[in-house]
Amino acid sequence: MVAIPAAFLLVFFVAPNALLLSASFQKTQAQQLTNELTLSNYAFLFTRPLYLEVFARTLLVGVSVGLVDILLGFPLAYFLVRTRSRWKGLLIALSLAPLLASVVVRTYGWYIILNRFGVANDALLGMGIIEERIPFMPSTGAIVIGLAHALLPYTVLSIMGSLQGINPNLESAAMSLGANRTRTFFNVVLPLALPGVAGGFLLVFSIAISAYATPAILGGPATQVAATAIYNFIIQLLDWSLGAALAVVLIVSTLLLLYAASRVGTKKAAL
Amino acid sequence: MNFTRWRANHAPWAGLRLFVILVYVFSLGPILITAAVSFNSGNRSFFPPRGFSIRWWERAFAPEWLEPLWFSIKLGSLTALAATLLALPMAFALHRYRFRGRDALLALTLGPLMLPSLVTGVGLLQLFELLGLREYVGFTALIVGHVVICMPFAVRTVAISLSTLPPNLELAAASLGATRWATLRHVVLPLIKTGVVAGAVFAFIHSFTDVNLSIFLARPGEIPITVKILGFLEFGFAPTLAAVAVITLLLPLVLVAIVERVSGLGDFIYGDRK
Repeated sequence: MVAIPAAFLLVFFVAPNALLLSASFQKTQAQQLTNELTLSNYAFLFTRPLYLEVFARTLLVGVSVGLVDILLGFPLAYFLVRTRSRWKGLLIALSLAPLLASVVVRTYGWYIILNRFGVANDALLGMGIIEERIPFMPSTGAIVIGLAHALLPYTVLSIMGSLQGINPNLESAAMSLGANRTRTFFNVVLPLALPGVAGGFLLVFSIAISAYATPAILGGPATQVAATAIYNFIIQLLDWSLGAALAVVLIVSTLLLLYAASRVGTKKAAL
Repeated sequence: MNFTRWRANHAPWAGLRLFVILVYVFSLGPILITAAVSFNSGNRSFFPPRGFSIRWWERAFAPEWLEPLWFSIKLGSLTALAATLLALPMAFALHRYRFRGRDALLALTLGPLMLPSLVTGVGLLQLFELLGLREYVGFTALIVGHVVICMPFAVRTVAISLSTLPPNLELAAASLGATRWATLRHVVLPLIKTGVVAGAVFAFIHSFTDVNLSIFLARPGEIPITVKILGFLEFGFAPTLAAVAVITLLLPLVLVAIVERVSGLGDFIYGDRK
């Protein structure tokens, strides 16, 4: 019964990834893979300052996006879980609606805002706050803002999942026993919500490090990340070996992050 | 006393509310600004917009943009259909039976959700080249890739709706003389219809909004709208693009609104709790 879908995934999902793994140990010569086995691709990536910088920037982007999304997503998730507003359903839908739009479209909004002749510069000039236009992009900061914006719904979903399991009476109980709001939050709510927070952070981290569109739009040649570097290797330089090696590094990092997330995060029970 | 004070003292809640409003501005602002700019009359973005014009919208409905849009719709629909058909037996097997190798099959099914789709895109490109199928890079390769990355969504939604069925339902049907196929056809399938439709819709949206995989498998003339927009951005800003962006944003929104009306899609967004 499952032979057809399983075979489909073996041929078009497992085989391509296995091919990449093997290509990462092969040399590319004259834009063709050779049969010579080597570790030089990895050695190259981990010794060149340019690519060390790409790794560092990718990690920095992943961590920053995770932190920003937790800081923005936690209050929103808490509000959505606890509010008694009759608009609750609509508010939840609005907070998730951005997922329906492609990252390209949502990042494009930031392009309109941040580019040299964009909305932010127009507004700041208009208000007399700045005298000259500021180049907000291309920059790593712009990439972080764009990705944090694109991935916020994932942290909101993850944190809402764990907050929903907390009985609101626990908070009332803590306060009736003399804890103030701050103590209640840090000693009762936060520890109980921690799996959702950590799970959300790691999920967003893992998506952010392999994102292509946002760094391609809001970044530039000087702010390369792993995904844009892979694209350059494969499409522009036709260097399969280095592209594959970088892809394997990305796979391993992603799997480690998701493994960590599955250990701390709320368990998925559907399957 | 503290409890009553907590109820009476709304200051922290008001502060939270203000913060939440700011988060919504951050989240929806760029999308609204994009929409505003598309009605701009100047040939670059001005904010606040200067004048009102629909000339960028007229240009957005030129073949240059309608073709990739139509391409994405075809790609998404075929992907949704194929992914759902492949997902049905998979979800049944994983949900109903305990067998040797089930964990491996589960990992295989959810794998595309775990590994970066960018990497799968590169791997598929390499596979097609290696097999000498270079001329199939484009529509065919895109369908194959999109089905791979969209299948987990369909499998999960179908599995969620299977888990809501009463366990003795099929036994009851069987004891009343229904064959296995008749049970499936007349009892199980009608009951999980919502889950199947939801899975197909998620698959369509995931395909329609994908860019990480598509950038490697598209080719001139066979290019999804997201990749087309991305490529066009290299030439800098044009308000036409804002109009195109709004169109591609409205399509999934309308689709979800329709399906939500018909069959209550919301349950599946965090359906794990059901």
